[in-house]
Amino acid sequence: MAGSLVYNRRDEFDWVLVSVVFLISTIGILNLYSTGVASGAPELYLTQLYWVVLGGIGAFVVAIIDYKHYERYGYFAYGGGILMLVLVLLFGKEVGGSVRWFAIGEFRFQPSELMKVLLVVGLAKYLHHDPKAEGRKLEDLFVPALMTGLAMVLILKEPDLGTALLCLLVFLSIMMLTRLTFRSTMALIVSTPIVAIIGWSYLLKDYQKARVISFWNLFVDPEADKLGAGWHANQSIIAIGSGQLTGKGYLDGTAGPHHFLPECRTDFPFSVFAEEHGFLGAAGLVFLYLFLIMWCIRIAAQSRDRFGSVIAVGIGSIIFWHVVINLGMVMGVMPVVGITLPLFSYGGSSILTFMFGFGLLLNVSIHRYRRNYGA
Amino acid sequence: MYISPRNELSEFRRRYRWMRLFVFLTFLVFVGRLVYLQLINGDDYHQKSINNVIRTVSLPAVRGRIFDSKGRVMATSMPSHTLVAIPHYVDMGEGFARLVELLGLDEQQSRQMADKLNDYQKDLRDMRRFQQISLLENLAPEQLAAVKAHQDELAGIDVVDEPRRFYPYGEVASHVIGYMNEVNGDDIALARENENIIDKYRPGDLIGRKGIERSFEPELRGIRGWKKKVVDARGLSLSREKTKNLLPDASMQEPSPGYDITLTIDVALQKLTRQALSGHPSAAAVVMNINDGSVLAAVSRPSVDSNRMTRGLSYAENDEINENPYRPRIDKTLYENYFPGSVFKPFTAFAALEEGIVTPEDVFNCSGFHEFGGRIFKCTHSHGDMTLYDALVQSCNVYFYNLAEMTGMDRIARYAGEFGFGQKTGVGYNTEAAGHIPTREWYDKNFPGEFRIGHTLNASIGQGNTKVTLMQVAAAYSAMANGGTLYQPQVIQSIETPDGEVVKAFQPIIKRRVSVGKHNMDLVMEALVGVVEDEKGTANSAYNENVSIAGKTGTAQVVKQSRKKGDTMAEFYYQNRDHAWFASVAPVENPEIAIVVLVEHGGAGGEHAAPVGVEIARRYFDEIAPRHEAPLLADSPSDSKSNVRIPVEDSAPTTASAHRH
Repeated sequence: MAGSLVYNRRDEFDWVLVSVVFLISTIGILNLYSTGVASGAPELYLTQLYWVVLGGIGAFVVAIIDYKHYERYGYFAYGGGILMLVLVLLFGKEVGGSVRWFAIGEFRFQPSELMKVLLVVGLAKYLHHDPKAEGRKLEDLFVPALMTGLAMVLILKEPDLGTALLCLLVFLSIMMLTRLTFRSTMALIVSTPIVAIIGWSYLLKDYQKARVISFWNLFVDPEADKLGAGWHANQSIIAIGSGQLTGKGYLDGTAGPHHFLPECRTDFPFSVFAEEHGFLGAAGLVFLYLFLIMWCIRIAAQSRDRFGSVIAVGIGSIIFWHVVINLGMVMGVMPVVGITLPLFSYGGSSILTFMFGFGLLLNVSIHRYRRNYGA
Repeated sequence: MYISPRNELSEFRRRYRWMRLFVFLTFLVFVGRLVYLQLINGDDYHQKSINNVIRTVSLPAVRGRIFDSKGRVMATSMPSHTLVAIPHYVDMGEGFARLVELLGLDEQQSRQMADKLNDYQKDLRDMRRFQQISLLENLAPEQLAAVKAHQDELAGIDVVDEPRRFYPYGEVASHVIGYMNEVNGDDIALARENENIIDKYRPGDLIGRKGIERSFEPELRGIRGWKKKVVDARGLSLSREKTKNLLPDASMQEPSPGYDITLTIDVALQKLTRQALSGHPSAAAVVMNINDGSVLAAVSRPSVDSNRMTRGLSYAENDEINENPYRPRIDKTLYENYFPGSVFKPFTAFAALEEGIVTPEDVFNCSGFHEFGGRIFKCTHSHGDMTLYDALVQSCNVYFYNLAEMTGMDRIARYAGEFGFGQKTGVGYNTEAAGHIPTREWYDKNFPGEFRIGHTLNASIGQGNTKVTLMQVAAAYSAMANGGTLYQPQVIQSIETPDGEVVKAFQPIIKRRVSVGKHNMDLVMEALVGVVEDEKGTANSAYNENVSIAGKTGTAQVVKQSRKKGDTMAEFYYQNRDHAWFASVAPVENPEIAIVVLVEHGGAGGEHAAPVGVEIARRYFDEIAPRHEAPLLADSPSDSKSNVRIPVEDSAPTTASAHRH
């Protein structure tokens, strides 16, 4: 029994996934060093290194135990996430007008980050037990939509617009995996703008609206508003563009060391990277993310059961939407929303969450040839 | 081979291909965007990123100094430091508290500063938040040291060097020196069109406004330099080492300092001239070297300290100056036209003598008035029989009425014109009046059919339509005393580089040699000696046997005014009192200087202006140009001792004289 819990001779370790994750994390840490070196906070990259190592160890632990055990406790995991969201609203630490963090000494933990992965686990559990051959009707979507909606409402209460939006996108991505009736598809398409209008009217804060408007202005007239709310987007584009083909060289950029992107460590690390390493570096990094997401889909396709597939697609979609929103923001094709670039942005909660996700992915990948004991 | 229950997965299987396609296309958009930003527009953004971090800082040019003829500093630039901020980057929490602590501001000062910053910061869309504003001028040394030492804690805060203009002698020569203030839109526009001005003016620059500061602005100003430095978004400088690849090769242009100017003015003489005038609220005097036309002193009272004018006046101060009845802003040596009164008589005499109309021996009887064309032209009193000498010494109008009748207006005008009257002297600073010498033609043109010989009579004694400036009188009397050479008055001796190399030395400019014979000028000069020394002379009351001076008094009538409401009797009498003139040369033998004094509403020239002129001459010989040989007129030995006195009254710094002369 112990043998089957951790090791089976059919298991095949996924060196490709581990290598890609290792590569992106390493580049991310080096990049953080560049953003910090001239600003008098070079120790940040070390902090990041600790989180990556800690998260990596966690990921291996998560990966080794066959995921059928997680499947069993799927709803507990989801419920635990919801409980944390409730607790953070009651006891969380307020920073900059929003309550997102548990503060434990120096360390601040953000439950909404973890919630994204726990939501995937919850949805995977539900879909695992609800196999369908025919298309899903609207009522079939009710439970997963409720699970997602509950998480979103709690996260919006904090408020954390970006993460709530991400939960919605993850939900939609997972649902795209299933077969929907024409009516269900239309319902989802029609409800999206309605939700958007309601969200704009009642949920967005003024500063968030200003950023969306500034994005729109920048889109219409790139020269306008570059000192106001569009400052970040404009500076980010300048930094990326100025990298040209080969970049200005490591540690020789302006965006990070010169503070032209005040939030470069969390939101704009890609701009710093693209400025210093040019098109070759930036396109290379984009390719690594593309490869990572394609690998997630491959893991999903090779998974031994529905739970594993949904987990792989869910984690893949978290990564995908994080990358899309972040790169879209820094390249000026999307509004400025504080969404991190996986493994590249500074922040413990973000790193731990992604490492947890990679652990699950690795798990699904390692155990893809095992007999399915589940339903 | 293990076969998994794939049927359960059939629902999902067909989706993966679409997912891959969607993901691939999305990433293709990003790569496309990177191509657009980095490869297509890369050059453009590269330039923008350099512009982002390179700030061009102006290096102010040191303005040229102004020295008096003895090398005393009259205007200089003192180092001064101004605390500036770019409000956007100023942290109003800890950062500002630290700033207040470093500067040692009290609560009120810190609140004022915070209000100013908040005003710029409150609206995120207000572009002014990125402009450099000045927070505190003239930092104390310890404040400067504190800010410099903690620069890294003070984002958005910087210190700039802004030299301040300083005039050690304040108001002593403020009309000649002038002052400076901030450029206005017209100044900037004018300079922009002027190809000769390389360094265009920018808002906030100072420009010379009056006097030498204005006239020699191009020479004094210099050309500012610039320095490119690499900064971060908060405006903080970064070390060169980290940013070497960002800076272009030419990263600095040294400013070139302005030229120094040495005046012909002697501050010590200027000072004592002011002191001699101190009893009179509104008066002016010019002291000129008769042998080259250089202006040794030019005083106009009252005046305003150049430092005060340069610093800027409050509205209240400005109103006070504008409403001052003695017109402190006016340079009375140049800007104001006055009737010359009897000071003009020598020139009427020259016309008559040169044209052979009278001889020095011809006698006219003065019964106190002269009747002409049914009108009475008055004299001061009945002088009896008068020769030319008597008439000049006693300033008899009737004598000159007779002369004028015979000589005619145009001939008087011609000789007056030869001595420079009716034309600007061209001294080259401040707005200068041309004065006026009437002619027949002028009357015919402006008052057709109204000309009467009576106008000539008035003109002959310096009234009617005859107007002069003090500078003109000084130049004319100089010509009279030097044998007939009319020099252009000049106030600049030389223009030099800061190292003392002469760029331009101003040579005496001879305007013309007057056509009056030497013997006639000697005749008049002899009479002018009598004005002071003769018992009957109009200036005899001011006679000092130790002072060798010859001159002519004048009493210029003012337009009589009725008493205005609110005027006190004293004010009423003051306004209706005539202007008192004294135009003189000294010493009598081998004259050196012309001294012209005008006391506005002083009354009779002999009583009120002549003592001032004599006092200036006395102190000139005592303090400025001591006679080493025995005094020409006086032979008191005690006096010759006092002549050795060296001027000690100068309390103002004269450091420049040490290495310059």
